[in-house]
Amino acid sequence: MTTQEATRWIAGLFQESADSIAPETPRDAVAAWDSLGELTLMADMDEKFSIVLTDTQLKAMTKVGDILQVLRENGKLTD
Amino acid sequence: MRFLLVDEILALAPGQRIRATKTMDPGDELFQDHFPGFPVVPGVLLTEMMAQAAGKCLAAEGAGRGWPMLAKITSASFREWVKPGEVCEIEAWIRSSRAQFATADCRVEVSGRLVAESSLLFSFVPRDRFAAEWRDEVLERFQTKAGG
Repeated sequence: MTTQEATRWIAGLFQESADSIAPETPRDAVAAWDSLGELTLMADMDEKFSIVLTDTQLKAMTKVGDILQVLRENGKLTD
Repeated sequence: MRFLLVDEILALAPGQRIRATKTMDPGDELFQDHFPGFPVVPGVLLTEMMAQAAGKCLAAEGAGRGWPMLAKITSASFREWVKPGEVCEIEAWIRSSRAQFATADCRVEVSGRLVAESSLLFSFVPRDRFAAEWRDEVLERFQTKAGG
């Protein structure tokens, strides 16, 4: 998966349009990135990428790029 | 009406899979409104049947992480009308189950026909938030029968 594809996936996860989400987009600017959004993110990370997010990782995420970084660290991005 | 949307558990593999039934009482007053002259089981109640069945499957694990609560209906579709009095056969498969969340794929059939399906996300609420004397009677009845 490329960074662009992953960004589109994140946009879909939080029900945002693809062009409104970029790596630098802050968490506060994503309406659905609330406690339910965290659960959805955890579930999708687990089921799609076999990545189990910790509470510490979740709380440390302040922008879209932090999600991409976790994917990158786990070898899920190809670029 | 009581909000008990599972009558009986037929089969249970804790944390993995459950089969259960629910039959809505034709005399239930909700059918006066849904709909006059054309009573059908509301889709939200079919969804709740699936959620309660999957919840019992998760609760039966006894993983000590609290009681499963529906957090999100990821998807749901309703394919055929369900009439009051028809036996709904509910099936749920737990797709993933972690400390903070669980997901399940569920379906409801009537006489072998698929009438509803859903994908659900659950979170967990600490057991001490509920009345201390509260028990899941349907789950306990099945466990007693299975154990005895």
